[in-house]
Amino acid sequence: MIARFLQRRQRRNPCHPADLQAPPSLVRLDGAAKEVIETGRTRLVTAALLFALCFVVLAARLVDLTFIRNDTEPRVARAATLVAKVDQFPVVDRAAIVDRNGTLLATSLRTASLYADPRKVLNAREAAAKLVRVLPELSQADITERLGSDRSFVWIRRNLTPRQQQQVITLGIPGLYFHGEQRRVYPQGALAVHAVGFTDVDNNGLAGIEAFFNERLRDPARAHEPLSLSLDLSVQHAVRDELLRSVAAHKAIGAAGIVLDARNGEVLAMVSLPDFEPGQVGEASKDQRFNRNTLGVYEMGSTFKTFAAAMALEKGLVNMKGGYDATHPIRIAGFTISDDHPKKRWLSLPEIYMYSSNIAAAKMAVDVGPAGQRAFMQKLGFLGKPAIELPEIGGPLYPRRWNTIETMTIAFGHGISVSPLQLASAVGAMVNGGLLVQPTLIRRDPLAPLPADRVISERTSRQMRQLMRLVVEQGTGKKAEAPGYLVGGKTGTAEKVGAGGYKRKSLLTSFVAAFPMHAPRYVVIAMLDEPKGTKETHGFATAGWTAAPIVGRLVTRIAPILGVPPVHETPEVRSAIAIPGFNAPAEPGRPQPTLQERKLASF
Amino acid sequence: MALSTIGGPERKLSIGRKLWEINWGLVLLVCLVASVGFAMLYSAAGGSLDPWASRQMIRFGVGLVLMLAIAVIDLRFWLKFAYPAYAVAVLLLVAVMVFGTIGMGARRWIDLGPFNIQPSEVMKIALILALARYFHGLTIEEVGKIRWLLIPVAMILLPAGMVMKQPDLGTALLLIMTGGIILFFAGVRLWKFALALGAGLGAIPIAWQLMHDYQRRRVLTFLDPENDPLGSGYHILQSKIALGSGHIFGKGFLQGTQAHLNFLPEKQTDFIFTTLAEEMGMAGALTLIALYVCIFAYGLAIALRARHQYGRLVAAGFTGMFFLYVFINVAMVTGLVPVVGVPLPLVSYGGTSMMTLLVGLGLLLNVYVHRDLQLPRRLDGGLG
Repeated sequence: MIARFLQRRQRRNPCHPADLQAPPSLVRLDGAAKEVIETGRTRLVTAALLFALCFVVLAARLVDLTFIRNDTEPRVARAATLVAKVDQFPVVDRAAIVDRNGTLLATSLRTASLYADPRKVLNAREAAAKLVRVLPELSQADITERLGSDRSFVWIRRNLTPRQQQQVITLGIPGLYFHGEQRRVYPQGALAVHAVGFTDVDNNGLAGIEAFFNERLRDPARAHEPLSLSLDLSVQHAVRDELLRSVAAHKAIGAAGIVLDARNGEVLAMVSLPDFEPGQVGEASKDQRFNRNTLGVYEMGSTFKTFAAAMALEKGLVNMKGGYDATHPIRIAGFTISDDHPKKRWLSLPEIYMYSSNIAAAKMAVDVGPAGQRAFMQKLGFLGKPAIELPEIGGPLYPRRWNTIETMTIAFGHGISVSPLQLASAVGAMVNGGLLVQPTLIRRDPLAPLPADRVISERTSRQMRQLMRLVVEQGTGKKAEAPGYLVGGKTGTAEKVGAGGYKRKSLLTSFVAAFPMHAPRYVVIAMLDEPKGTKETHGFATAGWTAAPIVGRLVTRIAPILGVPPVHETPEVRSAIAIPGFNAPAEPGRPQPTLQERKLASF
Repeated sequence: MALSTIGGPERKLSIGRKLWEINWGLVLLVCLVASVGFAMLYSAAGGSLDPWASRQMIRFGVGLVLMLAIAVIDLRFWLKFAYPAYAVAVLLLVAVMVFGTIGMGARRWIDLGPFNIQPSEVMKIALILALARYFHGLTIEEVGKIRWLLIPVAMILLPAGMVMKQPDLGTALLLIMTGGIILFFAGVRLWKFALALGAGLGAIPIAWQLMHDYQRRRVLTFLDPENDPLGSGYHILQSKIALGSGHIFGKGFLQGTQAHLNFLPEKQTDFIFTTLAEEMGMAGALTLIALYVCIFAYGLAIALRARHQYGRLVAAGFTGMFFLYVFINVAMVTGLVPVVGVPLPLVSYGGTSMMTLLVGLGLLLNVYVHRDLQLPRRLDGGLG
């Protein structure tokens, strides 16, 4: 019956050639054959109905996306009424964005766009000739043609300067009109583009702070109140400058840098390279638009040993004199964990950290156990998305099955990928006395309570500061030394993941640091993507040679801006940052023996 | 009427006669859809024939000739050819496991000097032919019995499993669904499909364990597009923005911003429908969909009109596969299903899927040309 219905429908359907209709006389139907054909036809018709249903769903979805979902998006019509309102009340409709010192990062300018009603233009040729004299970048032939058309509206040129507008008015050509518009301008160009973001032609935020605070910036009641960021442009400039220099020197494909206030979580600088001019978003590649600091997640390598050490200290599994045996590589489940600079002996905790021993870090983490390590990573915020005022936030990648082998690799920073911002706040907690402060791009109200959680004790934090200082004084981070500012930190050189495993030649080098180590105030992170060795680094491309020097130079530049005075190393300062037996006398409080005394003693 | 003159079972038609018999309306529709593709590729390249539109045109030209050639070859040849083609496709799938070129993290291609061959594409056609041939030889009573269904189910699952190993989940699912459609048209009882579906749903937790991380991530991204560090959620968000911003009549040819400013990835291949919807608006998108619906209507009508089970199943099976392509692609770019790499037939840039589809359309036309052929259920020994 359905088949008959379809046949009838087909006849009316102009899509079908008439001869698709099977003449009944040609079909010989006995019982079984008839059943086959009937079943086949019923099924075909059912399928046709199902197909039709599917397409109804698709069509409905398209209509849905076109009309219903679009309501929150701006309309040309709505933008036009807003502009009309602006003409009545001479205010801008989008608040400015400034840095912590009030320097302008983004603002709206009122401009005029020139259009014409060709029906009211008396002499198109003459008018075009006059216009080209004032606006020489226009083509006379093109303008003549536009003004000669029989339409009622043609654009001549968008966004004239006031001087150009005055010159056009002076020409006195009938039929020309101005349309008031607003244009978002970024006086600092590419300097903080990933943090500030950009808008579309209708002044809606598309990225960065512009997108995250779109509603706030558009709020007519607060249009005159600039949005004050935590960024400090002079620090931002220094970071970008040093990163650009290192990217060029090491032919790196990208870089990232953060300066974070360890006490209150304010981000003072955040640079991701390559970057782009906010006015030329269209020409920017995906790579340029990508914010490595918040959207990118990376295996950080050895910098993660900081957390392995802190975790073991916190749990009381090891103290500054204790240690682990790193004589033999660990073989587990077909993998071998070995050290890059094998000492082949028992190592104390400061040595483990200073020589960056994978074997010992793995053993330390195994003692804590997978559950304990996972809980600690959770506490440090590595298993969730960082909360910061940007839409471009990447979630971390970490193993779903977290067993012994994963615990071992995570101890030295492999198998877990986090964003540089997450790393910076966690390092902040390691050095500031043990509080994980939520990072922010907005200037904090000093009276408001600080969103912070305790992750390690004051005591562990002090020991971590000593360990980090030791790396710069005697370990892989010597190039990060900035005399007088007591930098402490940890290098990390990770091989990037490529098709079929880790690529030995493509490195991601980073240096996480804090200063001054006796009373840490600022966390600094510098990261280079695929740096190459140079003559100056003797061909080495590892973090100690590529990332650490950035931090050293940077601290020397930004400490005076940030008001951090150089420190004279008094015995009190020394005892706060040094470890007995390494960079301090064996008995704390006793003065270092002079050369002569030592000679006597060694007699 | 034309068909009375070609109806005889023994009559051999000349090539010219067969060409005359080809359903030129369908060919015209195919050309129209392909032309939409050329226009969009021209636009996606920023108003230039290079690098995509010109190559696509050449491929389509070659494919069109191939399609017509396939259409006029005697249907009985394609019947004899069905099992050998399937066997060759299986061998190619084995070969790709052993010698295949690894591209984009998966092993899908065999390098044959001047050109590459993708065995999973060959299998798409071969599977339809082989299943149609199998069911052509069964009576309706036999179709109702489980033991006659074991072989076709194995015929579907064997290549699907091999493709899944490559790994190419999308194509594997496409093979399974295409096979299921043929089983459905062959008259397999509905409760058996319900059973298979139930078993499939029950197997999801197991499949999840076997999935690759990137596949899991795509599913998770589908569920929450913003939770994605590496940017596969980006595709869908940008795609939806572009679709919505086209409004009813679009921004105009060559005027799309999302696509031209490179906000939209894969704009010339899997996401070309978005470029269309942005530049031509909802009206343009619905027009393209209407063209596809006409092609399906032709396909199903040809299946309905064929007087032998083989032709009916080949036509219906191919139409089903074509439908799956369109549905999955459009559903994907509109965010209804997860991102799987399925191109928009005849429109997306890419030679391999274009060839597969044109070969399939050639078979569809072939069934139409030979619609009144009398094919015995059991073939002579010579056909073996």
